[in-house]
Amino acid sequence: MSPAMRILAGIVVIIVAALAAGLWVLRGPGPMAFSGGTTVALSDYRGTNPAGVPASLAQASLVERGAYLAKAADCMVCHTAPDGKQYAGGLGFKLPFGTLYSTNITPDKETGIGDYSDQDFLNALHRGVRRDGARLYPAMPYTSYTYLTDADALAIKAYLFSLPPVRAPAPANTLEFPFDQRWGMMFWSAVFNPDTRFEPDTSKSPEWNRGAYLAEALAHCGECHTPRNPAFALDNPKKFAGAITAGWRAFNISSDKQTGIGAWHDDDLISYLSTGHALGHGTASGPMGEAVDQSLSQLAPDDIRAIVAYLRSVPPTPSPDLPATLAPPAPASHKDGVTADARGKMVFEGACVSCHGWTGESPVSPFATLTGAWAVNDPGATNVAQIVIAGTRRNTPDGAISMPAFGDAYSDDEIAAVANYVTARFGGKGSKLTAQDVTELRKQVSQ
Amino acid sequence: MTTTLMINGEQKSVDAPPEMPLLWVLRDILGMTGTKFGCGIAQCGACTVHVDGKPVRSCVLPVSAVRDRAVTTIEGVSASPTGAKVQKAWLDLEVIQCGYCQSGQIMSAAALLAATPNPDDSDIDAAMAGNICRCGTYVRIRAAIKQAASGRQS
Repeated sequence: MSPAMRILAGIVVIIVAALAAGLWVLRGPGPMAFSGGTTVALSDYRGTNPAGVPASLAQASLVERGAYLAKAADCMVCHTAPDGKQYAGGLGFKLPFGTLYSTNITPDKETGIGDYSDQDFLNALHRGVRRDGARLYPAMPYTSYTYLTDADALAIKAYLFSLPPVRAPAPANTLEFPFDQRWGMMFWSAVFNPDTRFEPDTSKSPEWNRGAYLAEALAHCGECHTPRNPAFALDNPKKFAGAITAGWRAFNISSDKQTGIGAWHDDDLISYLSTGHALGHGTASGPMGEAVDQSLSQLAPDDIRAIVAYLRSVPPTPSPDLPATLAPPAPASHKDGVTADARGKMVFEGACVSCHGWTGESPVSPFATLTGAWAVNDPGATNVAQIVIAGTRRNTPDGAISMPAFGDAYSDDEIAAVANYVTARFGGKGSKLTAQDVTELRKQVSQ
Repeated sequence: MTTTLMINGEQKSVDAPPEMPLLWVLRDILGMTGTKFGCGIAQCGACTVHVDGKPVRSCVLPVSAVRDRAVTTIEGVSASPTGAKVQKAWLDLEVIQCGYCQSGQIMSAAALLAATPNPDDSDIDAAMAGNICRCGTYVRIRAAIKQAASGRQS
């Protein structure tokens, strides 16, 4: 080999090694690597089987078990368009480079998944590969569903195939080049999809393992609550530290005491997951509200407790932009406390105060109390603006309670002003949203 | 479901679904039609009643959420000295035009004066901005609140 060739070969080796190291760093640890224990194949695990359905459904039919698992995996929310038929797809995910639409997963043969064999279905859920061989985008959380057992995935399939077929072709995606090149996802998947089934950790309790299976393989919490790295894969060293997804902030649910859920009582976590509200901790809205309505509220109590046990074990990662302590109730008089932003105050006293009060503690329902909620303590005011725009609705033991949508009634300027007023009065630090920010937030919401 | 409510000092038993808004219970079950239905989404103030003395929009308050708290409606507002003063000022100054919003206006004004006996303009804005009047009686409402507070005609 000539000296020039040797240098060239050396450079190539260095580049390849650097790329491999870069990918290794970017790929990072898996979602459950933090536990640090020994994992075994599910078939070798001696504890209670962490997969499958709760004991109460052990004797249920395949379709009934699949129905429970499909709820736990929250398939319906993404695969249903606003006002569309359930599971018939068509919900648009607004990305910076175009819109991606969810697909019809009813058993319609032409426009749904009616022709899928068991293996086709597993390929989609575990590997992100469609029946026709095309690659799925990771908006379909197959890097989470890959941890599902074959039996559970096929129970979900049996449930979906029990539904009436709906003829509904998915709208064409509007992704820009190069993101419209599905084959490119082959490389992404090779790096970021572990394509492996759930392996219990023998150092942890059976309850923890059930919680891990529910949170990772089914509920895919990390898809919204874990920040993403530059390659858009989950940045697991910052597991559950919170992120903005589809224009809403999924808050920190790591065990950090100040900005995560480390200081929450078990009962509060159970209540929040199963009802969308915990006294003094605010009320779930937006995507989390949907997750509670369609998925978490329908899980068995033991399964909710298992998720809580698992959440507790996730290492703390602080959110540096959030205040270390939540703001106490605001003063009873409108004159005391933060009075800046006259326009925001004008909107608040006209449209908001009758339900939320000047203190932030609602005279109508604890569900409408602002005090203690992360949304009003977030100096970004992302969720405050979104809730003002879209309204919210929650089922309570006293019946449904809802806040109307103000997105059509108020201008972006007014919504920014009221969000800034609300975060300043009821949170630690007021936001500085502009009308432009609100315009942007409107565009990011899936619809 | 049978719910026991304390309304204007009297115990009332009603058979209503837990999620039924208090406004519907008042109007449709108890026949207390002084409280008005306006928008149904807590944006106009016509349905305002007091719950433990605080102004609340009864159109969004599920009846089961009232629990043992005392409800005062426009039919009972004159039982308190503040309420009576507000009603008198309203009559003295001929505040009312069509009248549809005025039950709510009076309830909000009475709650304001009970908490803030001498309100300035910003207090009146803060308490009354959520009560809308299509006839535009706002100027007279403001004057009547000031008269009720001071006992003098302004």
